[in-house]
Amino acid sequence: MAGASTKGVLSHLSLLEVQARSRKTPPQQPSRVKELKAKAEALMTQRDQLKAEIETHKSLQKLRASMDKQCTHEEEEEEEMAIDSENSQLLRLMARHTQLKDLLHAHDIIGGYNVIKTRKGKGLCVSLTTAYNGVYLENYNLEMDLKPTLRISRDNIPPFIPLKSLAEQSNMQTDIRTLLDPLSQHLNAFAARKQQLKLVKELHKSVQVMESNALCSLLVLMFTVPREKTAVLCSLEYTDHTRCLPTRVHFECEDKGLPDSPEWKKNSSLLMETPVHKALITMKKMGDIV
Amino acid sequence: MMEKMSEENSEDVRVLEAQIEHLQAEVAALQRQQQDNHKDITFHLRGHMQDAMSYVCGQKQAGEKEKVLSKLTEELEEDLKLQTQMNGISLNSCTTKTLQSSGRQLVQQFCVSGHCSELVFQVEFLLSEVKKGQRSERTIRDLNVVMDTSDLQNFSSFLSGVEESTDLLLFFRTLRTFSDRCDDRRRTFQHFQEKYPSVVSLPGGCRSAVMTLNHPELSGCVLFVHWSVEVSREGRVTPKIELLTKIPEKALQLFPSQAVSGAAEAFQSLLRILGPEAAVESVIMAVSLSQDT
Repeated sequence: MAGASTKGVLSHLSLLEVQARSRKTPPQQPSRVKELKAKAEALMTQRDQLKAEIETHKSLQKLRASMDKQCTHEEEEEEEMAIDSENSQLLRLMARHTQLKDLLHAHDIIGGYNVIKTRKGKGLCVSLTTAYNGVYLENYNLEMDLKPTLRISRDNIPPFIPLKSLAEQSNMQTDIRTLLDPLSQHLNAFAARKQQLKLVKELHKSVQVMESNALCSLLVLMFTVPREKTAVLCSLEYTDHTRCLPTRVHFECEDKGLPDSPEWKKNSSLLMETPVHKALITMKKMGDIV
Repeated sequence: MMEKMSEENSEDVRVLEAQIEHLQAEVAALQRQQQDNHKDITFHLRGHMQDAMSYVCGQKQAGEKEKVLSKLTEELEEDLKLQTQMNGISLNSCTTKTLQSSGRQLVQQFCVSGHCSELVFQVEFLLSEVKKGQRSERTIRDLNVVMDTSDLQNFSSFLSGVEESTDLLLFFRTLRTFSDRCDDRRRTFQHFQEKYPSVVSLPGGCRSAVMTLNHPELSGCVLFVHWSVEVSREGRVTPKIELLTKIPEKALQLFPSQAVSGAAEAFQSLLRILGPEAAVESVIMAVSLSQDT
């Protein structure tokens, strides 16, 4: 009896336990529903947010397109936008913002001069871009004081570019471009000559670069004539430092008659008119050099 | 009763799960669309722009943001003004389209239109940026320049050279110098027309290359100042000023004067000594038979 009662108590306890457990699970079910509901709601908010953003994007694009059009055609055509007035001002600003960003980016690529005001408008930093055949190369910077007169305070222009005399010859106090344009011409011609030299070394392993200088205004190359295997020394002089084509081409060879032969006369004028790395391709094709 | 409840719940769960799946798909589609949007037009929404976007979409009070953004726009307007002045180029529009955007390489198509003084241009090109370590390498390809060159004959050979060599910077540097030299000419021509209206006329307008000098009492004798702005294939801009004469044969036979037949050469020496303005003015004085020199 006692055993039975003990059993009875134990089984009662275990029954209670089972009941408690099973009571626990039903409340778990609704919380799973709650969880899912919350998740669905969060997704809905996300979806609405995305939809709104995409809508705004569309309106911005439309606004921007009409802004671009207005700028080119100069005619006011008020666009009909389905934007509530509260946000239209903000949207307009956003569209103008993207337009300004793009225009500034374009200036950066095509203009050649990038300018930033420094020291709260007291100074100016101009960055001059160089490029050759579509490849952008080094940028050079000029730091300038605006007051009392425009003055170059710091620069990283290579020392062999005559910055000082260009500044003296210019009319930079009234028109800064009278300094920047010739300077940019010098820098771009230098960058172009340097790039040509680099291309000669990369593309023409059979041509030996015997001599070159920092300004890349002198270049001595050695060619080999295919059959005779004679060596030809070719010196290119670029006396006009604002150009990237030589002003003088001179050949030297053991075979004294070679420089005066019609083929080499032609090569000489080719080198005067074509960037050297391209001229060498033609000369190779003609079979004049290895 | 308990069983019924759990059955209901599992029904709910199924419905909700289906709904969630549906929503997830919808969100994913919208996200893709948004990414495409960002690719299509360079609306890179960062910083204040991102804030402004969330204000527009979140229907929050936008007043504060408007102020921030208008200040930001003002700064950019200021930058653009400075950049326009520095580069001597006014840009009207710039549209870009991203053609390729992978980890290291970005290829964008640009269409930029604007004007340099009176010269209107439109350029199209591809810009590719490849990240190489710290810096990125920028290259221009497929350059196409559209300009009305009908009265700029000597510009067209330069243009085709530039398109071939994709030298965008050279194009704009030359365009700017060319335009400056044309403005010099216009200013000089206009100045003389205003100063000597009875002698000077500009038959092709003040932007044309020709100025005619003609004394009112000598209608048969005309001098032309032909002032052209030459552009070499390399982009070198040089003004070329010549004096041409139109004097009746008979007058020349009757008065075989050295001054008239040698006028063109004499003018070139004047140019060398005095510079264009003074040289042209001295010819004007001679034609107007002015006593007060």
